Amino acid sequence: MNGMSLRAASRRRPGLRFAALVAPGALFIVIGLMLPLLAIVVFSFWRTESYELYADWSLDNYRTLLGEAAYRTFFLRSLVTAILVTVICLVCGWPVAYFIARHGGRYRLLLVLLLAAPFFTGVILRIAALQGLLGPVGLINMGLTMVGLPPIEALMYTKLAAGLGLVYLFIPFMVTAIYLSLVNFNFELLEVAKINGARPWRAFIEITWPLNWIGTAIGMILVFIPCLANAVTPRFLGGPEATSLGMSLAGQFGETGTWALGSAMGVFLFAVSLLAIFCIAPTIRLKRSGFTGTSLT
Amino acid sequence: MRAGPATLSMSAALGLLYVFLYGPIGYVIYTSFAVDIVWPFPPSFTLQAYVDLFSSSLYSEALTNSLTLATGAAVISTLLAAAGAIGILRFRSRYRTAALLIFIAPLFVADLLIGISVLAFNARVLGLPGNLFSAMAANAIQGTAFGFLIILAQLVRYNWDMDDAAMVFGAKPLRCFFEITLPTIWPSLFGAFLISFILAFNNLEISFYTLGAIPTLPSVAWGSLRFGLGAELFALAALVNGFVFLVFAVMYLLMRLGIVRFGYRGG
Amino acid sequence: MTGVTLELQSVTRRFGPVTAVDKTDLAIEQGEFFALLGPSGSGKTTLLRIIAGLERPDEGRVLIGGREVTDLPPYARNVGMVFQNFLLFPHKTVAENIVFPLRMQRASRAHRDEQLKWALSLLRLDGLGGRYPNELSGGQQQRVALARGLIARPALLLLDEPLANLDRELRSEMEVEIRRYQKELGIPFIYVTHNQEEALTMSDRIAVMRNGRFEQIGAKTEIYTNPASAFVATFVGHANRISGGIADIQGDLARIEWGGGSVLAPRPGSAQRGSAISVFVKHEDMAIHGAGLNGKRPEGVNQLAGTLRDIIFKGQTANYIVALPTGDDLVVSGTPRAGVARPNDAVIVSWPIEAGACFPREDA
Repeated sequence: MNGMSLRAASRRRPGLRFAALVAPGALFIVIGLMLPLLAIVVFSFWRTESYELYADWSLDNYRTLLGEAAYRTFFLRSLVTAILVTVICLVCGWPVAYFIARHGGRYRLLLVLLLAAPFFTGVILRIAALQGLLGPVGLINMGLTMVGLPPIEALMYTKLAAGLGLVYLFIPFMVTAIYLSLVNFNFELLEVAKINGARPWRAFIEITWPLNWIGTAIGMILVFIPCLANAVTPRFLGGPEATSLGMSLAGQFGETGTWALGSAMGVFLFAVSLLAIFCIAPTIRLKRSGFTGTSLT
Repeated sequence: MRAGPATLSMSAALGLLYVFLYGPIGYVIYTSFAVDIVWPFPPSFTLQAYVDLFSSSLYSEALTNSLTLATGAAVISTLLAAAGAIGILRFRSRYRTAALLIFIAPLFVADLLIGISVLAFNARVLGLPGNLFSAMAANAIQGTAFGFLIILAQLVRYNWDMDDAAMVFGAKPLRCFFEITLPTIWPSLFGAFLISFILAFNNLEISFYTLGAIPTLPSVAWGSLRFGLGAELFALAALVNGFVFLVFAVMYLLMRLGIVRFGYRGG
Repeated sequence: MTGVTLELQSVTRRFGPVTAVDKTDLAIEQGEFFALLGPSGSGKTTLLRIIAGLERPDEGRVLIGGREVTDLPPYARNVGMVFQNFLLFPHKTVAENIVFPLRMQRASRAHRDEQLKWALSLLRLDGLGGRYPNELSGGQQQRVALARGLIARPALLLLDEPLANLDRELRSEMEVEIRRYQKELGIPFIYVTHNQEEALTMSDRIAVMRNGRFEQIGAKTEIYTNPASAFVATFVGHANRISGGIADIQGDLARIEWGGGSVLAPRPGSAQRGSAISVFVKHEDMAIHGAGLNGKRPEGVNQLAGTLRDIIFKGQTANYIVALPTGDDLVVSGTPRAGVARPNDAVIVSWPIEAGACFPREDA
């Protein structure tokens, strides 16, 4: 084919241009993300012995995972923590996002960027900052000691501290997702509802909440998934009582070197994440969300 | 208009959230300059923590690695995300929804899972030891998803008929892109680059598993935090926070000025 | 053939199951103002985009100035275009927008400046060259879009409903202006619109398009006074329709019987006695009289009796709505004179027989 007819062919079929632009990124993600996930699915049915993987297919890893009380506890702890953190982020995030979108005026971009920014400092430095405040030699407890009071035990290496850390880490996601939904929401619809006799609370339930459910649902998923698999926060803030499945999983790939069992844990966590997505996805109906595209201001 | 109780309590919630988010950060920045990091009162300041940080060969090696890693990941992410967003919005295809889902899928996979699965895949399937390039690629997966959303958000408002107009007046497709499309959408490309850069720069879990023994700033910080909160960690946290806020300030200005001057608003 | 600037040969374009343009032939002469008139979805914009090269025809050939351009991309065709939303480049100044086509042709700076000056003064945009498009009024943006379309002296200027987004007053002003530019420059204009008044005001020739085909091509007076199909008769101008069956044929005339009586109309070519038929009469071809006319029956004129239901006063004209005993309404457009009749008066509507246009009934 010479250049001219090639060009004519691509003009005839926009599909070719679509493929040329989209394929590199899509293939990159499929190869870089999906294949490794597939690999751990395979490994989860294998066996590790002295840091080597052997292709002896069995369900042993899953039997261990579901059978041993310790792992069950770790998983339930991760699940309950993730659910609680998601709910707390939701309850705290909604009024804040609503306030910014509704009353932020010309400052709303600034306000929301200020909420999103801390997320980008990275997990470890944010945990360090939190420890500077909450830890045994952190500001709060040192302050209490200075004035002769006992330190607050609840904040030192407890599940509460770990949960607080997770809220601290992920609430920016929730606020941003809800905000992005609310800035595309036409607040005049509320006036219409009020004129037609709806009280503010009723108008919220009938109009605002359903029309912004998509942003809320995405925010919930974006908080739930990293919380479920979190390993770093409980490690540094949680103490011995807070060991999560993620921490244990990290250990299988680190110190103990039992990759097959670790893979099974990874697959299990991924399956639960998918389950969460599949539970919430059917509730999102684009046609009923008034979705018209996105805008940042 | 007088603010009602609902509005007042919402603004209080906003204020509390800011205190919650910025209290620790403010304290870290303050303490990084303090002589006594355990109880930095009354204030007495020193730059010793910064001097220690900059003279540490471990931290400077980690910094070089983090910068290389983040730059590579950001370049890959921005190019792939921009091409993907343009392709999806500009050209009709029955694979459009599928492509969209693939591009945002990484947002729904936890860092830890990306880290360990890439580690397992590289080590056992490809036989690769931890290296900077696979860490770049692994970070770029997430960066591509974030960058894609940022670019998409601006691009949905772009009117592709403008490219038709330019073509009728004699502009070839590439010329069209550089004369018409790029001047309008570059703030979002820049934003995608910055965000994916910062994400990769500060990422712990993906980089940790894909790099092997190569240190980055977050992994060194992680190692150091295991032994307690040292002065150099305060200094590092202060610097990284400063850097992130500088980037956000630039983006804020771009969006404020950029959208006014470059954003295509129909008319 | 000399003087033919654009030629379409059997051009077809399908979108899935829909045939947007169906085996269309067209020849546009040097220097003519040609309007493509049709309702939305008739394929007129697709046809324009095929001429511009923004769409590729599935079949057929496109020739511009005798050169085949069917496979050429838009940037190799040397046509100008004015778009519905103007599509000015928002990040370029007025001057940068206007010289854009010349820059793409790598014209020298001196030539560009000279042409810019010419275009700015032709379109009365002097002094606005440094502004950005969003600092201009709708009419000014329209002129910039025209200047950009004309500056490279294209073989052909395509205009895609360019006045659709302007308010009424500005629109009629621009109609006159656009026609003046076309006559001054002698470049053929192809003007797509769904607005019959625009097409009638500005163009020399009109093609009425429906379902991807031309219903009629001809001089605008021809289209208006002598429609070739029922669709053209209803779409161009405002017409009353009387549907019935042919009761009798008397030479060139057909007597049409319908529920309310009988009228005479020119006999359509193939019509036989008994065939279902519609007569179209333009509102302004009908006249209204007080009922006192009864009994007089001048030669060559149809008359129907009815009741005046309402008078819609429009300023220069008024529409008299007359209810016939059958329940049908006729609209008669006339000069608004007080005292002709009042609502609920009995009136007579009349029109010359040759004003009626007859076509086989489509809805049957």
